[in-house]
Amino acid sequence: MRIEHLSLHNFRNYARLEASLPSGPILLYGANAQGKTSLLEAIYYLATSRSPYTTSDRQLINWNVERDMFAFTKIGAEVVSANQVMNRVEVTLTAGTDGLNGAHLQKNIRINGVARRVMDLIGQITVVMFLPQDLALVEGPPAERRRYMNITLCQTDVVYCQALNTFEKVLSQRNALLKRIAENEASPDQLDYWDDQLITSGAILMAGRQRLLRELEVKARRVHHDVSGGDEDLELQYRPGFAATASSSSGQLSFNVLGLDLNRQLNADTIAEQFRDRLTGIQGEEITRGMTLIGPQRDELRLMVNGHDLGLYGSRGQARTSVMSLKLAELEWMHDTIGEWPILLLDEVVAELDAKRRAFLLERINNANQVVLTTTEPDIFTPDFLAHTARWHIHQGQIISTSD
Amino acid sequence: MSKAVPQPVTQLIDAFSRLPGVGPKTASRLTYYLLRAPDEVSQSLADALADLKTHTRFCSVCHNITENDPCGICSDSNRDTSQIVVVEEPLDVLAVERTGAFNGLYHVLHGAISPVEGVGPEDLKIRELVQRVENGNTLEVIIATNPGMEGDATAMYLQRQLAAAGVKITRLARGLPTGGDLEYVDSVTLMRALQGRHEM
Repeated sequence: MRIEHLSLHNFRNYARLEASLPSGPILLYGANAQGKTSLLEAIYYLATSRSPYTTSDRQLINWNVERDMFAFTKIGAEVVSANQVMNRVEVTLTAGTDGLNGAHLQKNIRINGVARRVMDLIGQITVVMFLPQDLALVEGPPAERRRYMNITLCQTDVVYCQALNTFEKVLSQRNALLKRIAENEASPDQLDYWDDQLITSGAILMAGRQRLLRELEVKARRVHHDVSGGDEDLELQYRPGFAATASSSSGQLSFNVLGLDLNRQLNADTIAEQFRDRLTGIQGEEITRGMTLIGPQRDELRLMVNGHDLGLYGSRGQARTSVMSLKLAELEWMHDTIGEWPILLLDEVVAELDAKRRAFLLERINNANQVVLTTTEPDIFTPDFLAHTARWHIHQGQIISTSD
Repeated sequence: MSKAVPQPVTQLIDAFSRLPGVGPKTASRLTYYLLRAPDEVSQSLADALADLKTHTRFCSVCHNITENDPCGICSDSNRDTSQIVVVEEPLDVLAVERTGAFNGLYHVLHGAISPVEGVGPEDLKIRELVQRVENGNTLEVIIATNPGMEGDATAMYLQRQLAAAGVKITRLARGLPTGGDLEYVDSVTLMRALQGRHEM
C-alpha cells in the first residue's frame, strides 16, 4: 500500500500542499516547527480519523484561518493498494458559522467522492507509526497500552472497532446507573440490559486483544532476539481486567485462576461466560462503589525481558529497543493480517537510537512499500540509505526542494 | 447588546436565541422582522404562544400532547383498541400516523432510559402503560422506541414489565431502507437485516 498523492488545505501550518509521493523511503528534513511532523500527522489522521498528538481536532486547523467565518481543513490522499486499485479518501473538518469558538467541528468523510461514515474510513489506509513518545508503552500508564491495542486492532478489524464504540457508551451508562443504584435512585434489576451489552462487547475486545498479543509476541520475540544478539527474550503479557478488585490484593488474578488457558486462543463466547460469572459475583461490590470494577477498561499489557517486568526493572535503552521490536513486529503483523504492507511513519525516532540499532531499523523498514521519516539531522543517515531515499526539505509549511 | 438597542428588543432576541436551532443571528433577524411587520403578525404569534401552554395538556390515556382529554386518537371509536404502539416522543406518533398503516392506539413514554442523563424508568410513563395494558383489552404492544442503545434498554425493560400481563409484545423490525442500495448499506445495518430476515 502506498500514497500516491497527498493534498492538504489549511492543515496545521500548511495553507495548501499538493504533493506526489514516490514509493520507498521519503526523508523529510528541516529545522524544528516547519511542518515535518504535521505531514505524518495528516497521513495518520486519514488512516485512523484521529491525531496521534492531540485529542482536539480543532488544533489541526491552520491558525491563519481559525477566525474565519467558515474555517475548515481538508486532508485528501490517493492510495494505491497492492493489487493496483486506486482510492481517493478525503476528510474535511468544518467549523460552525460562529468561527471556532463554541460550536463543534463537523467531520465529513468522502471515499471516491461519496460521503461515508468514520467507520468506513478505517482500513482504507493502514499505518504503523513510531514516535519518541511510544516509550510510554513501557513506562507510561496502562491506558497508553490499551490505546495502542485499540488503534492497532481497529485498523484491521471492523467488528472490534464497533465493539469498542459500543463498549465505551455502555460503560458510561452502566457506571451512571451503578451510581444511581448506590444512591438508592434506581433498582439493581435495571442492570440486566447494560450487563448484557457490557459482556458482549467487552468479550469481543478481550478476545481481540488476546489474539493480537499472541500473534505479535511471536514476531516481536524474533525481532528482539535479532537486535539483542540473542541475549534478550521479549515477552508480551496480557492481563485481562477481570481481577483488579479491592478484594484481590495482587491485581494479578488472571484467566488461569478462572480456569481459562491464556496460552490457547480463546473466543469471545468463552470469555463472555467467564466475564458474566465474575460480574455476577461482584455485583454487590460494584453497587457499593458505584462503578464498573472489572472488564477490558482495566486490561493491562506488560512487556517482559528475560522474565523481568520492563516497566519496573528495565533500563531506558532496553525500553527503547523493546518498543522498536514491538513496532517492527506490528509492521509484519499488519502485513500478515491485511495482506499487504502498511505505510510506515517514523517521527524523529532514528536520532534516538545508537548506530547499531539505527542500522538494524533502517534495514528492516525496507520491507514496506512506503516509509515516511522525519529528521532535523539528515547527516545521521548512511550514504547507502540516502542513495535510495527521496529527500524533501520542509520549510514553513512548504516542500522547498526534493531529490528523488 | 449595546444601549442603542431598546430593552424590549433585546428581551425578544434573548428569548428567541434560547430556542433550539436558533442562534443569536437568527434571533435578531426574527425580532427585526416582527418590528417591521404589520401588528397582526406579532399579535397572532403572541396569541399562539399564549395558547400553546394554556390550551394544551397531556392525554390522560396515552400521554400525547392534546387539546382535549382524552385526545383525538384515544377517543376515536373507529380505532382498534387491541393494539398499542409505544413511542419515545410525541413527534414519533406523527411519524407512525403518516404511514397510514396503523389504526390502533399509542402510548408516549416521553423519553428513553439513559442513566447518564439521569433518566430512569420511573421518569417515563411506564407505570401508566403497565396499568393501561393490565386493565384494558390490549392484545398486542408494539414497542417502537428508537433503534439505539437507550431505545433498546427501554424496550427490554418494557418487555420485562409487561411479561406478566400476558399480551403479545413485538418490536419494530430493523433493516434495509426502502429504495436503498445494498452495497452502500453499513455492515451493522446489514447484519441486523440478516438476523431479522423473514420467510417469503
